[in-house]
Amino acid sequence: MRDRIQEALKHSKADYTEIRIEEKETTRVAFRGKDLELANANIDKGGIVRCLIKNKGWGVATFNNLDDLLNKVDQAYQCAQVVSVPEPIELVPVEPINQVTTVTMERDFRDVSLAEKKALAERYNEVMRGHSDKIIDTQSFYADTFTHLTLANSEGTYIEQEKPAVVLASLAIARDGDNVQQAHETMALPQGFEYVLDKDELARKAAQKAVELLDAKPVKAGQYPVVIDQMLAGVFIHEAFGHLSEADFVYENPQAREMMTLGRRFGKGILNVYDDGSIPNLRGTTLYDDEGIPGRRNWLIKDGVLVGRLHSRQTAAKMGEKATGNARAINYRFPPIVRMTSTAIDNGATSFEDMIKDIKLGIYACDAYGGQTQLENFSFSSGYAYMIRDGKIAEMVKDVILAGNLFTTLENIDAIGNDFKWDNAGGGCGKGNQYPLPVTCGSPHIRIQNVVIGGE
Amino acid sequence: MDILTQLKKQAEQVEVLNLQNEKTTVEFEANQLKTCTVAETKGTAVRVIRKGRLGFAASTDDTVMNKLAANALESAAYGDEALFSFADPKPAPIVQTFDKTVADLPIARLVEIGKEILDIVMPVEPDARCNISLERSITSASIRNQKGLDVSYQTTPLSIGLEIDRIEGDDVLIMYDQLGTTVWEENYLEFARRLVEQLKMARTITTIKPGKMPVLFTPTGTLTLALPLSYGLNGKEVYKGTSPMATKVGEKLFDEKLTILDDGTLDGKFASASYDDEGVPRKCNTLVGGGVLKGFIYDLKTAAQSGVESTGNASRGLFNPPEPSFTSLVVQPGNTALKDILAGIDEGILVENVLGLGQGNIISGAFSNPLALAFKIEKGEIVGRVKDMSIAGNIYDLLKNVSAVSREAQWVYNTFYAPYILIPEMNVAGKN
Ligand SMILES: [Zn+2]
Repeated sequence: MRDRIQEALKHSKADYTEIRIEEKETTRVAFRGKDLELANANIDKGGIVRCLIKNKGWGVATFNNLDDLLNKVDQAYQCAQVVSVPEPIELVPVEPINQVTTVTMERDFRDVSLAEKKALAERYNEVMRGHSDKIIDTQSFYADTFTHLTLANSEGTYIEQEKPAVVLASLAIARDGDNVQQAHETMALPQGFEYVLDKDELARKAAQKAVELLDAKPVKAGQYPVVIDQMLAGVFIHEAFGHLSEADFVYENPQAREMMTLGRRFGKGILNVYDDGSIPNLRGTTLYDDEGIPGRRNWLIKDGVLVGRLHSRQTAAKMGEKATGNARAINYRFPPIVRMTSTAIDNGATSFEDMIKDIKLGIYACDAYGGQTQLENFSFSSGYAYMIRDGKIAEMVKDVILAGNLFTTLENIDAIGNDFKWDNAGGGCGKGNQYPLPVTCGSPHIRIQNVVIGGE
Repeated sequence: MDILTQLKKQAEQVEVLNLQNEKTTVEFEANQLKTCTVAETKGTAVRVIRKGRLGFAASTDDTVMNKLAANALESAAYGDEALFSFADPKPAPIVQTFDKTVADLPIARLVEIGKEILDIVMPVEPDARCNISLERSITSASIRNQKGLDVSYQTTPLSIGLEIDRIEGDDVLIMYDQLGTTVWEENYLEFARRLVEQLKMARTITTIKPGKMPVLFTPTGTLTLALPLSYGLNGKEVYKGTSPMATKVGEKLFDEKLTILDDGTLDGKFASASYDDEGVPRKCNTLVGGGVLKGFIYDLKTAAQSGVESTGNASRGLFNPPEPSFTSLVVQPGNTALKDILAGIDEGILVENVLGLGQGNIISGAFSNPLALAFKIEKGEIVGRVKDMSIAGNIYDLLKNVSAVSREAQWVYNTFYAPYILIPEMNVAGKN
């Protein structure tokens, strides 16, 4: 294959050509209620060729048939011929990389029988179903994916990577009359089968929360001081801020560029935010991105001030900055675009007790359950939440939706916890039509003043 | 050997789906033509029932058909008991989903259409930033099973998506609309013109005092209500007992002005076809008639589990077995002219788009969303855009009493057809 890829690259008439070949095998087991929905294996194999003609633009061809790479290179080149950009597209120069990586899993899931995987998902399903007779429906999901990825370009880069992933998800739905509530717990890691064993606690937590939510009262709409847990804080910084620091959002938009001017104050001095693809064994780990750039730590906010952003080679060249290792694609059907990897609010100094002790009336919101951002406006549902009364965690409340403006909200972060945690949740990030991309979010607890909480 | 013939020797029932797709995409980013893509996909999915148990496997690698067959049989070895059998060959309605005009659209023509759209937006809003994605596909699907079912069809989906961003100081406006069809549409620019009209309307910013008021949902805004509702109308949720409507067929749950259908036989719509994705004829199913719950949507498996017939609503991608899914969800237009509905509103809001569609506890019918695009209605007139407001409610309460359903209706993203719906009183929250 290596020879054929290199021959096809040599054949290309474009200024820059890139070929990515992906071979992926996935095994999934899904239970829903008492029924098994699925226990099976899928095979997905395909490739993408991307050609750049500098004063024309990008041409892309994706395919399942790998027999005729030369023809696919021609097809991509023809596509690029059709395009016409007003200014030539440049790519920031980088050192070519030659690397073949392999992984070893403590327990390789490819050697585990479908029977054992089914038994595992079934066990977690039974943990939820047996938790309470109020649990009326469940979903217990297991998946493993092994991907072999080859990336090569006309500048001499050739990288082969092996990427394993395991995913567990538990969803519980509880009902009491017309009152229906749900809770979920997920985990995903680029690791072996050993990581999904003995996770009864994950399933139990989902069931327990769903049942507890039945008795929770809806939160009263209003403005509150809000403490958010590591998971919600991580999702918040990813969704509400992280996407704005992706350079493709600003690089051709003068107003957005002004909004995201480096040096602009984004929060109090205690706020530090980074994206880092080089941290091993996280779902967002990106040792090489899909342009072959090594992952690294990129500071986005330092001491409350905007100091950096995330790039592809094209956006970096356009803005006169360095490549950051953030050009990623969900699979061979898509070209890479600027994406996050593992994004975090850096650890702070305040203990959780100190954070809540002066709050007379506030909300402690945990876990993210969907949400959307539109530039600086965001809206997130928390999975579950508690009132804070007189400095103490009080009763559980439901339907807590945080909405607001990013800049005001970041400015209103007045305490950052000392209990940093990466969240190994499954799911992923969506942008354009590329979903789900594996990413990781991390944060300590944080406190935000004057948050608007919606509700009836 | 053909995989159907091969597997028939090893299993009681076999179903083979072959999918082939060729897609051309032209993308404008920030008003500039940036990328052109040609994508070819090809794959096979197999379901088998062996010793009464259901198995599934899929592959895009056509050099490993033996492995695909083995994977399907292994899946069946651990599969659940199958209570249903694959589709019987049956005659189906004729539905137009293929159009040579669309199939033959050259890349150059897609580029030209993109430029025509820019010519509509830019003179009106020179500072706007448009992302336009034009996509033309030719899809072929064939479904065969051991009963002799052998259906195949071709569709030519064309979609043109337009996103307009406008940033003016602190005011950020993002608007999106899309044309979707499988049959060439002479008025292919109308959706862009409509979006530009909205953009003009959104220039005036005004305020409204939060509180209880009438809320008029536009066809797009109606999605906020339809999404929790469609969840409850899915036969799978009914079988699982999570639909709040599970035991209520025949009961009057909603205002009598509401009639809701799912129609898989409309020409030119993305989900329309003669057959569904497991070879059952597509149909038009009434779900709510005059406010009375009439039924739900099913595929073969969930229908058998529920002791009913499939409604022809099976839908699947290559890598997943079929699930009941809506084709074109249609809320029937009513009798009142939009202008008369507006004239009756002294003070209220018009909801076009919300943020976080589908967030919150939608299984219980609840929604709670900030308003992304909404307008103030004052003495029957739309007077300007309102910002930083939010709505929340439960559709099972709100749709019991609807003040008006408009005569005018519109397609939303090719899969949803709805009129304007006026809710007499809802809480609209915001800063005072
Ligand atoms: Zn994201």
